[in-house]
Amino acid sequence: MDKLVLKLCFCAAIVWQATTAGTAAGARWGRLVHKRDSLYQVIYVYKQGTVVTLRFGKQPAEQLQSQVDVSNLRQHRLEYTKIAFCGMLYKPAPRRILVLGLGGGVIPREMHHYFPTTLIDVVEIDPEIPKIAREFFCFAEDDRLKVHIADGRMFIRERIRRKVEDKYDIVILDAFNSEYIPFHLTTKEFLEEVKEVLADDGVVVANVFYNNRLFEAQCATFLAVFGRCQVFFGSYTNNAMLVSPGQKCQTLTIREAMKQANILQHKANPAFDMLAVSKQFRPSIRPAPSVKVLTDDRAPVNRLQKQKRRRTEQQDNETAGKRKEADLTVDNTPSPY
Amino acid sequence: MTGNNKMRATGVIFIACVCGWFVMELEILGVRALAPYFGSAVYVVMGSVVGVFLLSLSAGYMSGGWLSKKVNIQRMLGINLILCGTWLFAMPAFIEPVCDGMYNIGLDERWGSLLAAIILFGLPTMLLGTVTPSAVQWLTRQASDSGVNAGLVLALSTTASFAGCVVTAFYLVLVSLRLTIRISGIILFVLGCAILVQAVLRRRRWTSSS
Repeated sequence: MDKLVLKLCFCAAIVWQATTAGTAAGARWGRLVHKRDSLYQVIYVYKQGTVVTLRFGKQPAEQLQSQVDVSNLRQHRLEYTKIAFCGMLYKPAPRRILVLGLGGGVIPREMHHYFPTTLIDVVEIDPEIPKIAREFFCFAEDDRLKVHIADGRMFIRERIRRKVEDKYDIVILDAFNSEYIPFHLTTKEFLEEVKEVLADDGVVVANVFYNNRLFEAQCATFLAVFGRCQVFFGSYTNNAMLVSPGQKCQTLTIREAMKQANILQHKANPAFDMLAVSKQFRPSIRPAPSVKVLTDDRAPVNRLQKQKRRRTEQQDNETAGKRKEADLTVDNTPSPY
Repeated sequence: MTGNNKMRATGVIFIACVCGWFVMELEILGVRALAPYFGSAVYVVMGSVVGVFLLSLSAGYMSGGWLSKKVNIQRMLGINLILCGTWLFAMPAFIEPVCDGMYNIGLDERWGSLLAAIILFGLPTMLLGTVTPSAVQWLTRQASDSGVNAGLVLALSTTASFAGCVVTAFYLVLVSLRLTIRISGIILFVLGCAILVQAVLRRRRWTSSS
Protein backbone atom coordinates (compact mmCIF):
# COMPACT_ATOMS: atom_id res chain seq x y z
CA MET A 1 0.00 0.00 0.00
CA ASP A 2 2.78 2.38 0.99
CA LYS A 3 4.59 1.54 -2.17
CA LEU A 4 1.55 2.42 -4.22
CA VAL A 5 1.25 5.81 -2.52
CA LEU A 6 4.92 6.42 -3.09
CA LYS A 7 4.58 5.51 -6.75
CA LEU A 8 1.61 7.82 -7.15
CA CYS A 9 3.52 10.67 -5.54
CA PHE A 10 6.44 10.00 -7.84
CA CYS A 11 4.18 10.06 -10.92
CA ALA A 12 2.53 13.26 -9.75
CA ALA A 13 5.95 14.82 -9.27
CA ILE A 14 6.97 13.85 -12.80
CA VAL A 15 3.76 15.25 -14.29
CA TRP A 16 4.16 18.47 -12.32
CA GLN A 17 7.77 18.76 -13.37
CA ALA A 18 6.83 18.23 -17.01
CA THR A 19 4.06 20.82 -17.00
CA THR A 20 6.08 23.47 -15.22
CA ALA A 21 9.05 22.78 -17.51
CA GLY A 22 6.69 23.41 -20.43
CA THR A 23 5.65 26.79 -19.13
CA ALA A 24 9.19 27.72 -18.17
CA ALA A 25 10.32 27.06 -21.75
CA GLY A 26 7.62 29.42 -22.98
CA ALA A 27 8.44 32.12 -20.44
CA ARG A 28 10.44 33.97 -23.08
CA TRP A 29 7.26 34.63 -25.01
CA GLY A 30 5.00 35.07 -22.01
CA ARG A 31 2.09 33.00 -20.82
CA LEU A 32 0.89 29.90 -22.66
CA VAL A 33 -2.64 30.90 -23.63
CA HIS A 34 -3.53 28.09 -26.02
CA LYS A 35 -2.28 24.60 -26.70
CA ARG A 36 -3.76 22.30 -29.28
CA ASP A 37 -2.90 18.91 -30.72
CA SER A 38 -3.78 19.02 -34.37
CA LEU A 39 -3.40 16.29 -36.95
CA TYR A 40 0.00 17.62 -37.90
CA GLN A 41 1.61 19.23 -34.90
CA VAL A 42 1.28 20.49 -31.38
CA ILE A 43 0.40 24.16 -31.58
CA TYR A 44 1.40 26.55 -28.80
CA VAL A 45 0.24 30.17 -28.51
CA TYR A 46 2.00 32.44 -26.02
CA LYS A 47 1.04 35.93 -25.01
CA GLN A 48 3.09 38.65 -23.34
CA GLY A 49 1.35 41.99 -23.08
CA THR A 50 0.11 42.60 -26.59
CA VAL A 51 2.64 40.32 -28.30
CA VAL A 52 1.31 36.92 -29.39
CA THR A 53 3.67 34.13 -30.45
CA LEU A 54 2.94 30.94 -32.37
CA ARG A 55 5.13 27.86 -32.05
CA PHE A 56 4.84 24.29 -33.25
CA GLY A 57 5.97 21.38 -31.10
CA LYS A 58 9.39 21.26 -29.56
CA GLN A 59 11.27 23.40 -32.00
CA PRO A 60 14.68 24.76 -31.08
CA ALA A 61 14.09 27.56 -28.62
CA GLU A 62 14.72 30.44 -31.02
CA GLN A 63 12.41 29.20 -33.79
CA LEU A 64 9.01 30.83 -33.99
CA GLN A 65 6.29 30.30 -36.53
CA SER A 66 4.79 33.70 -36.16
CA GLN A 67 4.76 36.67 -33.84
CA VAL A 68 2.34 39.56 -33.83
CA ASP A 69 1.89 42.68 -31.72
CA VAL A 70 -1.89 42.96 -31.69
CA SER A 71 -1.71 46.66 -30.73
CA ASN A 72 0.47 47.37 -33.76
CA LEU A 73 -0.38 45.02 -36.60
CA ARG A 74 1.82 46.84 -39.12
CA GLN A 75 4.94 45.94 -37.21
CA HIS A 76 6.73 42.91 -38.67
CA ARG A 77 8.30 41.21 -35.70
CA LEU A 78 9.94 38.44 -37.74
CA GLU A 79 12.31 39.40 -40.52
CA TYR A 80 11.16 36.88 -43.12
CA THR A 81 7.65 38.34 -43.28
CA LYS A 82 9.23 41.56 -44.58
CA ILE A 83 11.53 39.82 -47.06
CA ALA A 84 8.47 37.98 -48.41
CA PHE A 85 7.47 41.30 -50.01
CA CYS A 86 10.44 41.03 -52.40
CA GLY A 87 8.07 39.54 -55.01
CA MET A 88 6.54 43.00 -55.32
CA LEU A 89 9.87 44.35 -56.61
CA TYR A 90 9.27 42.18 -59.70
CA LYS A 91 5.50 42.61 -59.86
CA PRO A 92 4.68 46.01 -58.34
CA ALA A 93 0.92 45.56 -58.83
CA PRO A 94 0.09 41.85 -58.46
CA ARG A 95 -3.46 40.84 -59.31
CA ARG A 96 -3.39 37.41 -57.73
CA ILE A 97 -1.16 35.98 -55.05
CA LEU A 98 -0.92 32.39 -53.84
CA VAL A 99 0.58 31.72 -50.42
CA LEU A 100 1.30 28.14 -49.34
CA GLY A 101 1.34 27.96 -45.55
CA LEU A 102 -0.60 30.23 -43.23
CA GLY A 103 0.97 30.18 -39.74
CA GLY A 104 -0.10 33.33 -37.93
CA GLY A 105 -1.16 34.76 -41.27
CA VAL A 106 1.16 37.79 -41.18
CA ILE A 107 2.30 37.60 -44.82
CA PRO A 108 -1.18 37.36 -46.42
CA ARG A 109 -2.71 39.82 -43.96
CA GLU A 110 -0.10 42.49 -44.59
CA MET A 111 -0.16 41.99 -48.36
CA HIS A 112 -3.93 42.25 -48.19
CA HIS A 113 -3.50 45.51 -46.29
CA TYR A 114 -0.97 47.15 -48.62
CA PHE A 115 -2.47 45.92 -51.89
CA PRO A 116 -6.19 46.53 -51.58
CA THR A 117 -7.14 45.23 -55.02
CA THR A 118 -5.10 42.04 -54.99
CA LEU A 119 -6.79 38.66 -54.65
CA ILE A 120 -4.98 36.35 -52.25
CA ASP A 121 -5.38 32.58 -51.92
CA VAL A 122 -3.80 30.94 -48.91
CA VAL A 123 -3.42 27.16 -48.73
CA GLU A 124 -2.96 25.57 -45.32
CA ILE A 125 -2.99 21.85 -44.62
CA ASP A 126 -3.83 22.03 -40.92
CA PRO A 127 -7.47 22.99 -40.28
CA GLU A 128 -6.63 24.16 -36.75
CA ILE A 129 -4.23 26.86 -37.91
CA PRO A 130 -6.77 29.25 -39.51
CA LYS A 131 -8.90 29.08 -36.35
CA ILE A 132 -5.91 30.07 -34.23
CA ALA A 133 -4.83 32.77 -36.68
CA ARG A 134 -8.33 34.29 -36.48
CA GLU A 135 -8.62 34.04 -32.73
CA PHE A 136 -5.16 35.21 -31.67
CA PHE A 137 -3.41 36.84 -34.61
CA CYS A 138 -6.03 39.27 -35.94
CA PHE A 139 -6.24 37.36 -39.18
CA ALA A 140 -9.51 37.80 -41.07
CA GLU A 141 -10.75 36.45 -44.37
CA ASP A 142 -12.91 38.32 -46.83
CA ASP A 143 -13.75 38.06 -50.50
CA ARG A 144 -10.21 39.09 -51.49
CA LEU A 145 -8.41 36.88 -49.01
CA LYS A 146 -9.37 33.24 -48.84
CA VAL A 147 -7.95 30.29 -46.95
CA HIS A 148 -8.18 26.81 -48.49
CA ILE A 149 -7.62 23.77 -46.32
CA ALA A 150 -5.53 21.47 -48.51
CA ASP A 151 -2.10 20.08 -49.15
CA GLY A 152 -0.27 22.75 -51.16
CA ARG A 153 0.70 20.40 -53.95
CA MET A 154 -2.81 18.92 -54.16
CA PHE A 155 -4.27 22.43 -54.41
CA ILE A 156 -1.98 23.32 -57.31
CA ARG A 157 -2.57 20.02 -59.12
CA GLU A 158 -6.30 20.45 -58.73
CA ARG A 159 -6.04 23.90 -60.32
CA ILE A 160 -4.05 22.48 -63.22
CA ARG A 161 -6.54 19.64 -63.70
CA ARG A 162 -9.50 21.99 -63.67
CA LYS A 163 -7.61 24.21 -66.15
CA VAL A 164 -8.28 27.39 -64.15
CA GLU A 165 -7.52 30.35 -66.41
CA ASP A 166 -6.47 32.81 -63.72
CA LYS A 167 -2.77 32.54 -63.11
CA TYR A 168 -0.93 33.87 -60.09
CA ASP A 169 1.39 36.84 -60.37
CA ILE A 170 3.21 35.88 -57.20
CA VAL A 171 3.45 32.44 -55.59
CA ILE A 172 4.92 32.40 -52.09
CA LEU A 173 6.12 29.05 -50.76
CA ASP A 174 6.14 29.09 -46.99
CA ALA A 175 4.74 25.68 -46.01
CA PHE A 176 7.62 24.77 -43.79
CA ASN A 177 8.79 25.02 -40.28
CA SER A 178 12.42 24.93 -39.31
CA GLU A 179 12.18 21.33 -38.11
CA TYR A 180 10.18 19.58 -40.76
CA ILE A 181 9.98 20.28 -44.47
CA PRO A 182 7.53 18.25 -46.56
CA PHE A 183 9.74 16.82 -49.32
CA HIS A 184 7.03 16.90 -51.97
CA LEU A 185 6.94 20.72 -51.76
CA THR A 186 10.62 21.08 -52.67
CA THR A 187 11.06 18.91 -55.74
CA LYS A 188 11.59 19.71 -59.40
CA GLU A 189 8.25 18.09 -60.28
CA PHE A 190 6.48 20.30 -57.74
CA LEU A 191 8.10 23.48 -59.06
CA GLU A 192 7.09 22.49 -62.57
CA GLU A 193 3.50 22.34 -61.34
CA VAL A 194 3.93 25.72 -59.67
CA LYS A 195 5.16 27.06 -62.98
CA GLU A 196 1.90 25.99 -64.59
CA VAL A 197 -0.25 28.06 -62.23
CA LEU A 198 2.15 31.01 -62.41
CA ALA A 199 1.62 33.82 -64.92
CA ASP A 200 4.38 34.02 -67.53
CA ASP A 201 5.42 37.36 -66.12
CA GLY A 202 4.91 36.19 -62.54
CA VAL A 203 7.42 35.34 -59.86
CA VAL A 204 7.91 32.52 -57.33
CA VAL A 205 9.19 33.40 -53.88
CA ALA A 206 10.31 30.62 -51.52
CA ASN A 207 11.10 31.03 -47.86
CA VAL A 208 14.24 29.03 -47.07
CA PHE A 209 17.01 28.83 -44.49
CA TYR A 210 20.42 29.58 -45.94
CA ASN A 211 22.60 28.07 -43.22
CA ASN A 212 22.23 24.42 -44.29
CA ARG A 213 22.93 22.23 -47.28
CA LEU A 214 19.30 22.07 -48.28
CA PHE A 215 19.65 25.71 -49.40
CA GLU A 216 22.11 24.76 -52.16
CA ALA A 217 19.90 21.89 -53.30
CA GLN A 218 16.90 24.23 -53.42
CA CYS A 219 18.86 26.79 -55.47
CA ALA A 220 19.88 24.04 -57.89
CA THR A 221 16.26 22.87 -58.17
CA PHE A 222 14.94 26.39 -58.81
CA LEU A 223 17.63 26.91 -61.45
CA ALA A 224 16.76 23.60 -63.09
CA VAL A 225 13.09 24.54 -63.39
CA PHE A 226 13.08 28.31 -63.91
CA GLY A 227 16.56 28.84 -65.32
CA ARG A 228 17.11 31.88 -63.13
CA CYS A 229 17.27 32.35 -59.40
CA GLN A 230 17.91 35.40 -57.23
CA VAL A 231 18.13 35.64 -53.45
CA PHE A 232 17.20 38.09 -50.73
CA PHE A 233 19.13 37.21 -47.57
CA GLY A 234 18.01 37.96 -44.04
CA SER A 235 20.28 40.48 -42.37
CA TYR A 236 19.95 39.19 -38.81
CA THR A 237 18.26 35.81 -39.28
CA ASN A 238 19.01 32.67 -41.28
CA ASN A 239 15.97 33.22 -43.46
CA ALA A 240 16.31 33.96 -47.14
CA MET A 241 13.90 34.23 -50.02
CA LEU A 242 14.69 32.41 -53.25
CA VAL A 243 13.10 34.23 -56.16
CA SER A 244 12.61 32.81 -59.62
CA PRO A 245 10.89 34.89 -62.27
CA GLY A 246 8.64 33.30 -64.90
CA GLN A 247 9.61 33.21 -68.58
CA LYS A 248 8.47 36.74 -69.40
CA CYS A 249 9.49 38.35 -66.15
CA GLN A 250 12.76 40.26 -65.98
CA THR A 251 15.38 39.52 -63.36
CA LEU A 252 16.58 42.50 -61.38
CA THR A 253 19.97 44.09 -61.06
CA ILE A 254 20.97 45.50 -57.71
CA ARG A 255 20.24 49.00 -58.96
CA GLU A 256 16.79 48.00 -60.22
CA ALA A 257 16.00 46.24 -56.96
CA MET A 258 16.81 49.45 -55.10
CA LYS A 259 14.77 51.52 -57.47
CA GLN A 260 11.75 49.21 -57.24
CA ALA A 261 12.07 49.17 -53.45
CA ASN A 262 12.02 52.96 -53.47
CA ILE A 263 8.93 53.04 -55.65
CA LEU A 264 7.20 50.44 -53.49
CA GLN A 265 8.11 52.36 -50.36
CA HIS A 266 6.39 55.47 -51.71
CA LYS A 267 3.42 53.78 -53.35
CA ALA A 268 2.34 51.17 -50.81
CA ASN A 269 4.10 52.96 -47.96
CA PRO A 270 4.80 49.89 -45.82
CA ALA A 271 5.61 50.45 -42.17
CA PHE A 272 8.91 48.64 -42.62
CA ASP A 273 11.97 49.60 -44.64
CA MET A 274 11.69 47.89 -48.02
CA LEU A 275 14.99 49.46 -49.05
CA ALA A 276 16.73 47.57 -46.26
CA VAL A 277 15.26 44.36 -47.69
CA SER A 278 16.51 45.19 -51.18
CA LYS A 279 20.01 45.81 -49.83
CA GLN A 280 20.25 42.14 -48.97
CA PHE A 281 19.72 41.24 -52.60
CA ARG A 282 22.00 38.91 -54.50
CA PRO A 283 21.29 38.91 -58.26
CA SER A 284 22.62 35.47 -59.06
CA ILE A 285 23.52 32.33 -57.23
CA ARG A 286 25.43 29.31 -58.52
CA PRO A 287 25.45 26.21 -56.35
CA ALA A 288 28.43 23.89 -56.78
CA PRO A 289 27.99 21.53 -59.75
CA SER A 290 28.04 18.53 -57.40
CA VAL A 291 24.81 19.69 -55.73
CA LYS A 292 21.96 17.42 -56.81
CA VAL A 293 18.55 18.68 -57.88
CA LEU A 294 15.71 17.54 -55.59
CA THR A 295 13.24 15.26 -57.35
CA ASP A 296 10.20 13.19 -56.36
CA ASP A 297 12.54 10.24 -56.77
CA ARG A 298 15.21 11.51 -54.43
CA ALA A 299 14.75 14.35 -51.99
CA PRO A 300 16.50 13.80 -48.65
CA VAL A 301 15.39 17.24 -47.49
CA ASN A 302 15.28 16.65 -43.78
CA ARG A 303 18.74 15.10 -43.87
CA LEU A 304 20.27 17.92 -45.92
CA GLN A 305 18.63 20.41 -43.64
CA LYS A 306 20.45 18.99 -40.62
CA GLN A 307 23.81 19.38 -42.37
CA LYS A 308 25.52 22.72 -42.04
CA ARG A 309 26.59 24.37 -45.24
CA ARG A 310 30.23 23.96 -46.18
CA ARG A 311 30.62 27.22 -48.05
CA THR A 312 28.90 29.41 -45.51
CA GLU A 313 31.80 31.72 -44.77
CA GLN A 314 32.78 32.30 -48.35
CA GLN A 315 29.23 32.95 -49.43
CA ASP A 316 28.61 35.24 -46.51
CA ASN A 317 31.66 37.24 -47.53
CA GLU A 318 30.28 37.45 -51.02
CA THR A 319 26.97 38.64 -49.68
CA ALA A 320 28.75 41.17 -47.52
CA GLY A 321 30.59 42.41 -50.62
CA LYS A 322 27.33 42.80 -52.48
CA ARG A 323 25.89 44.65 -49.54
CA LYS A 324 28.67 47.23 -49.70
CA GLU A 325 28.19 47.57 -53.41
CA ALA A 326 24.48 47.97 -52.84
CA ASP A 327 25.09 50.70 -50.29
CA LEU A 328 27.16 52.57 -52.84
CA THR A 329 24.52 52.16 -55.50
CA VAL A 330 21.77 53.55 -53.37
CA ASP A 331 23.77 56.69 -52.65
CA ASN A 332 24.12 57.35 -56.34
CA THR A 333 20.58 56.44 -57.32
CA PRO A 334 18.41 59.48 -57.52
CA SER A 335 15.09 58.79 -55.90
CA PRO A 336 12.24 59.03 -58.37
CA TYR A 337 10.31 61.04 -55.81
CA MET B 1 20.70 -36.50 -43.28
CA THR B 2 20.48 -34.13 -40.29
CA GLY B 3 23.15 -31.91 -41.84
CA ASN B 4 21.09 -31.77 -44.99
CA ASN B 5 17.99 -30.93 -42.97
CA LYS B 6 19.80 -28.13 -41.17
CA MET B 7 20.96 -26.69 -44.47
CA ARG B 8 17.46 -26.82 -45.82
CA ALA B 9 16.03 -25.17 -42.70
CA THR B 10 18.61 -22.37 -42.90
CA GLY B 11 17.80 -21.83 -46.55
CA VAL B 12 14.05 -21.69 -45.96
CA ILE B 13 14.41 -19.26 -43.06
CA PHE B 14 16.77 -17.12 -45.12
CA ILE B 15 14.14 -16.84 -47.86
CA ALA B 16 11.46 -15.95 -45.29
CA CYS B 17 13.75 -13.25 -43.85
CA VAL B 18 14.55 -11.74 -47.24
CA CYS B 19 10.84 -11.52 -47.99
CA GLY B 20 10.14 -10.05 -44.54
CA TRP B 21 12.71 -7.35 -45.24
CA PHE B 22 11.24 -6.45 -48.63
CA VAL B 23 7.67 -6.26 -47.33
CA MET B 24 8.56 -3.42 -44.97
CA GLU B 25 11.00 -1.77 -47.35
CA LEU B 26 8.27 -1.65 -49.95
CA GLU B 27 5.73 -0.36 -47.45
CA ILE B 28 7.87 2.61 -46.45
CA LEU B 29 8.88 3.40 -50.01
CA GLY B 30 5.20 3.09 -50.95
CA VAL B 31 4.24 5.91 -48.60
CA ARG B 32 7.12 7.94 -50.00
CA ALA B 33 6.13 7.19 -53.62
CA LEU B 34 2.47 8.19 -53.27
CA ALA B 35 3.03 11.40 -51.27
CA PRO B 36 3.75 13.61 -54.32
CA TYR B 37 0.44 12.60 -55.87
CA PHE B 38 -1.87 12.40 -52.88
CA GLY B 39 -0.23 14.85 -50.50
CA SER B 40 1.46 14.42 -47.18
CA ALA B 41 -1.74 14.33 -45.14
CA VAL B 42 -0.46 11.60 -42.85
CA TYR B 43 -3.76 9.91 -42.26
CA VAL B 44 -4.48 9.54 -45.97
CA VAL B 45 -1.47 8.05 -47.74
CA MET B 46 -0.06 6.26 -44.70
CA GLY B 47 -3.44 4.74 -43.90
CA SER B 48 -3.99 3.59 -47.47
CA VAL B 49 -0.59 2.01 -47.92
CA VAL B 50 -0.42 0.29 -44.52
CA GLY B 51 -4.00 -0.93 -44.91
CA VAL B 52 -3.37 -2.33 -48.37
CA PHE B 53 -0.24 -4.08 -47.16
CA LEU B 54 -2.11 -5.80 -44.35
CA LEU B 55 -4.91 -6.88 -46.64
CA SER B 56 -2.52 -8.17 -49.29
CA LEU B 57 -0.46 -10.01 -46.69
CA SER B 58 -3.53 -11.82 -45.41
CA ALA B 59 -4.50 -12.74 -48.96
CA GLY B 60 -0.93 -14.01 -49.41
CA TYR B 61 -1.02 -16.06 -46.18
CA MET B 62 -4.32 -17.59 -47.20
CA SER B 63 -3.36 -18.52 -50.74
CA GLY B 64 0.20 -19.51 -49.76
CA GLY B 65 -1.11 -21.90 -47.13
CA TRP B 66 -3.67 -23.34 -49.49
CA LEU B 67 -1.22 -23.75 -52.37
CA SER B 68 1.46 -25.34 -50.21
CA LYS B 69 -0.86 -28.31 -49.74
CA LYS B 70 -1.61 -28.66 -53.44
CA VAL B 71 1.62 -28.01 -55.33
CA ASN B 72 5.38 -28.37 -55.00
CA ILE B 73 6.28 -25.71 -52.43
CA GLN B 74 9.75 -24.98 -53.69
CA ARG B 75 8.59 -24.44 -57.24
CA MET B 76 5.69 -22.30 -56.15
CA LEU B 77 8.00 -20.11 -54.06
CA GLY B 78 10.45 -19.74 -56.93
CA ILE B 79 7.72 -18.70 -59.35
CA ASN B 80 6.15 -16.31 -56.83
CA LEU B 81 9.44 -14.56 -56.16
CA ILE B 82 10.19 -14.28 -59.89
CA LEU B 83 6.75 -12.74 -60.48
CA CYS B 84 7.17 -10.38 -57.53
CA GLY B 85 10.65 -9.34 -58.68
CA THR B 86 9.45 -8.69 -62.21
CA TRP B 87 6.54 -6.62 -60.93
CA LEU B 88 8.81 -4.53 -58.70
CA PHE B 89 11.29 -4.00 -61.51
CA ALA B 90 8.54 -2.69 -63.79
CA MET B 91 6.52 -0.80 -61.14
CA PRO B 92 8.43 2.53 -60.96
CA ALA B 93 7.33 3.28 -64.52
CA PHE B 94 3.68 2.89 -63.53
CA ILE B 95 3.59 5.02 -60.40
CA GLU B 96 2.83 8.25 -62.21
CA PRO B 97 0.25 6.97 -64.75
CA VAL B 98 -1.60 5.00 -62.07
CA CYS B 99 -1.74 7.94 -59.64
CA ASP B 100 -2.80 10.39 -62.33
CA GLY B 101 -5.35 7.86 -63.53
CA MET B 102 -7.00 7.88 -60.10
CA TYR B 103 -7.80 11.57 -60.49
CA ASN B 104 -8.92 11.10 -64.07
CA ILE B 105 -11.56 8.62 -62.99
CA GLY B 106 -12.72 11.12 -60.39
CA LEU B 107 -11.40 9.70 -57.11
CA ASP B 108 -10.25 12.01 -54.31
CA GLU B 109 -6.97 11.59 -52.43
CA ARG B 110 -8.46 9.08 -49.99
CA TRP B 111 -10.02 6.52 -52.32
CA GLY B 112 -7.52 7.42 -55.02
CA SER B 113 -4.52 6.63 -52.83
CA LEU B 114 -6.20 3.45 -51.59
CA LEU B 115 -6.89 2.16 -55.08
CA ALA B 116 -3.46 3.23 -56.34
CA ALA B 117 -1.85 1.38 -53.43
CA ILE B 118 -3.90 -1.74 -54.24
CA ILE B 119 -2.91 -1.63 -57.90
CA LEU B 120 0.76 -0.91 -57.31
CA PHE B 121 1.54 -2.84 -54.13
CA GLY B 122 -1.28 -5.38 -53.83
CA LEU B 123 0.17 -8.15 -55.99
CA PRO B 124 3.84 -8.01 -54.89
CA THR B 125 2.87 -7.90 -51.21
CA MET B 126 0.50 -10.81 -51.67
CA LEU B 127 3.23 -12.81 -53.37
CA LEU B 128 5.63 -12.03 -50.54
CA GLY B 129 2.89 -13.07 -48.10
CA THR B 130 2.73 -16.59 -49.58
CA VAL B 131 6.26 -17.23 -48.34
CA THR B 132 5.52 -17.48 -44.60
CA PRO B 133 2.96 -20.32 -44.58
CA SER B 134 4.79 -22.31 -47.24
CA ALA B 135 8.07 -21.92 -45.35
CA VAL B 136 6.36 -23.35 -42.26
CA GLN B 137 4.98 -26.23 -44.33
CA TRP B 138 8.37 -26.83 -45.93
CA LEU B 139 10.11 -27.04 -42.56
CA THR B 140 7.50 -29.19 -40.89
CA ARG B 141 8.04 -32.94 -41.12
CA GLN B 142 5.67 -33.96 -38.34
CA ALA B 143 2.59 -32.27 -36.90
CA SER B 144 4.12 -31.81 -33.44
CA ASP B 145 6.82 -29.51 -34.94
CA SER B 146 4.36 -27.15 -36.57
CA GLY B 147 4.13 -24.71 -33.63
CA VAL B 148 7.90 -24.47 -33.20
CA ASN B 149 8.43 -23.98 -36.91
CA ALA B 150 5.68 -21.39 -37.27
CA GLY B 151 7.11 -19.48 -34.31
CA LEU B 152 10.62 -19.63 -35.72
CA VAL B 153 9.66 -18.48 -39.21
CA LEU B 154 7.41 -15.67 -37.96
CA ALA B 155 9.91 -14.44 -35.39
CA LEU B 156 12.84 -14.32 -37.77
CA SER B 157 11.01 -12.90 -40.76
CA THR B 158 9.40 -10.23 -38.57
CA THR B 159 12.81 -9.33 -37.17
CA ALA B 160 14.00 -8.98 -40.74
CA SER B 161 10.97 -6.76 -41.39
CA PHE B 162 12.08 -4.57 -38.51
CA ALA B 163 15.55 -4.26 -40.02
CA GLY B 164 14.08 -3.49 -43.45
CA CYS B 165 11.87 -0.86 -41.89
CA VAL B 166 14.64 0.95 -40.05
CA VAL B 167 17.27 0.73 -42.78
CA THR B 168 14.81 2.00 -45.39
CA ALA B 169 13.49 4.85 -43.30
CA PHE B 170 16.93 6.00 -42.12
CA TYR B 171 19.17 5.32 -45.10
CA LEU B 172 17.50 4.08 -48.28
CA VAL B 173 15.33 7.22 -48.52
CA LEU B 174 18.57 9.10 -49.19
CA VAL B 175 18.99 7.39 -52.56
CA SER B 176 16.71 7.18 -55.54
CA LEU B 177 13.31 5.69 -54.76
CA ARG B 178 12.80 4.12 -58.17
CA LEU B 179 16.31 2.66 -58.23
CA THR B 180 15.81 1.10 -54.77
CA ILE B 181 12.57 -0.56 -55.87
CA ARG B 182 14.17 -1.82 -59.10
CA ILE B 183 17.20 -3.27 -57.30
CA SER B 184 14.87 -4.98 -54.80
CA GLY B 185 13.03 -6.45 -57.78
CA ILE B 186 16.26 -7.77 -59.25
CA ILE B 187 17.28 -9.37 -55.94
CA LEU B 188 13.91 -11.11 -55.61
CA PHE B 189 14.05 -12.24 -59.23
CA VAL B 190 17.51 -13.77 -58.79
CA LEU B 191 16.50 -15.45 -55.53
CA GLY B 192 13.37 -16.86 -57.20
CA CYS B 193 15.42 -18.22 -60.11
CA ALA B 194 17.87 -19.89 -57.71
CA ILE B 195 15.04 -21.57 -55.82
CA LEU B 196 13.37 -22.74 -59.02
CA VAL B 197 16.59 -24.07 -60.56
CA GLN B 198 17.36 -25.99 -57.38
CA ALA B 199 13.82 -27.42 -57.36
CA VAL B 200 14.14 -28.62 -60.94
CA LEU B 201 17.61 -30.11 -60.39
CA ARG B 202 16.52 -31.96 -57.29
CA ARG B 203 13.50 -33.36 -59.07
CA ARG B 204 15.68 -34.53 -61.96
CA ARG B 205 18.16 -36.20 -59.59
CA TRP B 206 15.29 -37.87 -57.79
CA THR B 207 13.66 -39.19 -61.00
CA SER B 208 16.99 -40.41 -62.45
CA SER B 209 17.93 -42.27 -59.27
CA SER B 210 14.62 -44.00 -58.91
